[in-house]
Amino acid sequence: MSEGLEQVKQWILKRHPERTDIAPDTDLIDNRLIDSLSFVEFVFLLEQLSGRSIDMDTLEVDEIRTLAAIEEQFFKAEVH
Amino acid sequence: MAVAALPVTDRFHEVLDRLSSKSIEDYYNPYLRFDWPDRLDENRMWMSPDLLTPYGTPHFDELGEETLIRLSKWESINFYSLNVHGIRELLLEVVARIHMPGFEVPSDFFHHFIGEENEHMWFFAEFCRRYGDKIYSSTAMRAGAGWEPEVENFLVFARVLFFEELVDHYNSRMARDDSLCDTIRQVNRIHHQDESRHIAFGRELVSLLFTRMCEVVDESRRAEVEAYLKRYVVYSINSLYNPHVYRDAGVPDPLALRNALLADERRRPIERTVIRKPLSFFRKTGIFTDDALPTV
Repeated sequence: MSEGLEQVKQWILKRHPERTDIAPDTDLIDNRLIDSLSFVEFVFLLEQLSGRSIDMDTLEVDEIRTLAAIEEQFFKAEVH
Repeated sequence: MAVAALPVTDRFHEVLDRLSSKSIEDYYNPYLRFDWPDRLDENRMWMSPDLLTPYGTPHFDELGEETLIRLSKWESINFYSLNVHGIRELLLEVVARIHMPGFEVPSDFFHHFIGEENEHMWFFAEFCRRYGDKIYSSTAMRAGAGWEPEVENFLVFARVLFFEELVDHYNSRMARDDSLCDTIRQVNRIHHQDESRHIAFGRELVSLLFTRMCEVVDESRRAEVEAYLKRYVVYSINSLYNPHVYRDAGVPDPLALRNALLADERRRPIERTVIRKPLSFFRKTGIFTDDALPTV
């Protein structure tokens, strides 16, 4: 797991103390780990960690649905 | 889905009649109402300084006058963009309910509401496109929350009401600020005048929907609804601290400024002033059992 993605996971875990880990394929939306109110904070975090500008008007929810999808979308080019 | 009719009162009927008559009497053509100059002066404030997000913290002075003036331009474009998206989303919800079971009584006023909100959305979008050459992105994620219909109906209009009251604080302040240019004051003044009707209507409707909701959900569900609505309050306030705005104003590390301001306790009493009226309404009606707000 890239350092950026690890920070993403820690950010979510900090907000959900009932969880100790999140599997790469866990659905973050269905499990309410990210919801409509935390979405914007989450996108700003992804922008900061990935160094990429994200257009919220065109962002598809599936692009951030799982940690695996986030890695693919935002951190794939990162050197491990 | 079967939803029982609202527990309407004589008072609700009277308020609807009065507000509908006022909407007809005060009707105006927004497409003719405004004088839009080609450009606004870039060397003066576009927003009252005390409404800017760094106000009340050391960052306000550290940013310097030139950056603050740029910030006032982009924070005002962000404010009007939030209005555009907020109205767009609330129209979807109201259109989904007009002439549907459970909303027979307020449907007539919904026609005025939809018409007026469409016009507000137009003049806010016009301001953004003319003077900012853009509308900032919506920050909404559309995902079903799985609430019961009575809860969903209550939450939709509670969110609409909170949003309108939040915006109205800014509108009434800027409408009165004679250091701002006429166009900015006029946009804010006209919106403030129309919104006073929508807020009066919203308070009545939300009270009835809350009564209706309490008849069908238990205490623990009510506590979840309260927790959600409080998060919505914080989410709405935080949407004013937009790192894309700070970037456009020339702030070197936009997200760091957002995080610093969200963490700065000197901002909390200022935010409380902005939301004093809706918070007091939520407390008085029992929607909120206390006035503690979560941190995000």
